[in-house]
Amino acid sequence: MTTRAQTAGRQAAARRREGTWIEAVLAHLVFAAVIVFFLAPFVWLLTAAFDADAQAYIRWPSQLTLDNFVRVFTEHDFGRALANSALVAGLTMLLDVVAVSLAGYSLSRMDLRFKSAITYGVLLLQTMPLSATMVPIYGLARAVGLRNSYLGLILIHAAIELPFLIWLMKGFFDSVPRYLEEAAWLDGRSKLRALVEVVLPVARNGIGVVAGLSFLAAWAEVLMVIILVDRQDMFTVPLAFYQVLRTRGGYTEVQYGMVAAMGVLYLVPVMVIFFATRRMMVRGLLSSARGL
Amino acid sequence: MRSGDAQSPLRFVSPAGRALYPRDVVARNSPYLLGVTPAALLLTLFFIGPALWAVYSSLTNLALVGIDAANPRFVGQDNYARLFQDPDFWTVIRNSVTFVLGSAVIGQFVLGLSLAVLIDHAERRGWRLATLAYAAVLLAWVNPTLIAGYLWSAMFDFFFGSLNHVFLSAIGVGPVDWLGSFPMPSVIIANVWRGTAFTMIIFLGALKTIPPDIYEAARIDGANAWRRFWDHTLPSLRPIAALTLLSITMATFGTFILIQTLTNGGPNIATETIALYAYQTAFQSYAIGYGSAIAVVMLGLNLIFAVFYLRWSRARA
Repeated sequence: MTTRAQTAGRQAAARRREGTWIEAVLAHLVFAAVIVFFLAPFVWLLTAAFDADAQAYIRWPSQLTLDNFVRVFTEHDFGRALANSALVAGLTMLLDVVAVSLAGYSLSRMDLRFKSAITYGVLLLQTMPLSATMVPIYGLARAVGLRNSYLGLILIHAAIELPFLIWLMKGFFDSVPRYLEEAAWLDGRSKLRALVEVVLPVARNGIGVVAGLSFLAAWAEVLMVIILVDRQDMFTVPLAFYQVLRTRGGYTEVQYGMVAAMGVLYLVPVMVIFFATRRMMVRGLLSSARGL
Repeated sequence: MRSGDAQSPLRFVSPAGRALYPRDVVARNSPYLLGVTPAALLLTLFFIGPALWAVYSSLTNLALVGIDAANPRFVGQDNYARLFQDPDFWTVIRNSVTFVLGSAVIGQFVLGLSLAVLIDHAERRGWRLATLAYAAVLLAWVNPTLIAGYLWSAMFDFFFGSLNHVFLSAIGVGPVDWLGSFPMPSVIIANVWRGTAFTMIIFLGALKTIPPDIYEAARIDGANAWRRFWDHTLPSLRPIAALTLLSITMATFGTFILIQTLTNGGPNIATETIALYAYQTAFQSYAIGYGSAIAVVMLGLNLIFAVFYLRWSRARA
């Protein structure tokens, strides 16, 4: 038995070796094509942002300049937008970390008959497209005075990713053994203190993912900002970019360089945060998919 | 005494011996019920509330401005009757289905799965270029959608876009009017570019969980790579495939900003999906009631998709 299997294995290995170099060349061609397709738009964005006379196509800048970046700040009050965005995304992150820790832990430890139905219900909410509910959200915000307000932006941005983040965090808490918190209760700690002092440190990777994803989502999200904000001093980065896109990048005077510079400033924080925490983020995503 | 309690008509006990008394359950779970409250409030305010409000206002003639804004009238199913008789609505539905099938189910899913398999293979062989390809795909996904729309509107530009001016001219092909003559394929390409990473990440992770001895056994049996993939890899990925499809279908169905920045639904209504149609009806024609009816149809379709995928995944799991 063993010998027959070994012989077959050797034959298969020989066949594989023959195919190896063709396979390798083909695979590398595919990778090269993938890299060109996915990176080309970014190459354009970067070169256009530093080009004194940017065009719609990729080329080496006619004259390297930082002028586009200067104009972003002098002509568009972009500093204000950056500050607004940092404030909104930061506080959204804080609110999400608190709400998601409490809800994820509670859902994980709750003992209800309909718990799995509730958990799936939360997941179903996440599949609800924001573009379907934006009209009622607009109406609601207008009725209760949450338009052009930081509070409104923070609440809505905290809510957008909430179902997914709760689901994600519940998975992290499910893997934390219960005897840890039970020991803390016996020490006389309240449930809240046990959560904060004993459980959260164990689930800190999950908290990191929640914090990162909620900040990134709030930083990038544009649909809600479009319908909730129309006061210039309340503009966030996505809204400033959206407006410039519609006026300067569009049909009147095409100013690729300046719009690209603004895009770079919008994109860079996202890239830095994501790639610095890439492994943690990807692992978090995977664990949520496995929990499904 | 305990067993006597179980006989009591007032105390229901499940076969497992767990009391199903509502009061018991509430008392035992009270800290946890308190814990979900902040999240539940946010979800009610921004998910459940708006959905219910959409259902209500879809039965009225509420408008954004004018007399109907102050005093909306109940009009019953008029909005729906009007919607289903609107030929544009059926075009919009067809566009949405094409966009979802083309960019999520076929584009992102097939490309993402293929890339995951290829990169997984490359990692075992130690081919370094795979890492760069992985990062490139990931970058497009992390990138805010609004920027994706801007980047691709430049790429597709008829006169000076990179696709025509750099790539096609390099191989001697004349310019193509991407957004004019092939609007739907173009927005599909942009959305595939933006969303492929999600499928790739999920499947790369899933592939690592397949025990290698399955492959060893199949290899010893003399199965070639394609057979091994078809017989062993794919079946074990099926449950996760269902949920990945659910995620990307829903995300694509709700796509708004990407299409708005690229074509704004045009030319004419060639790329107008249901999300854009709802937005334009509500905010440009100021017909909130009618726009809400479109939103309700969208939510209904969404629910049907979601239930379908969830049942499918659980049946396989």
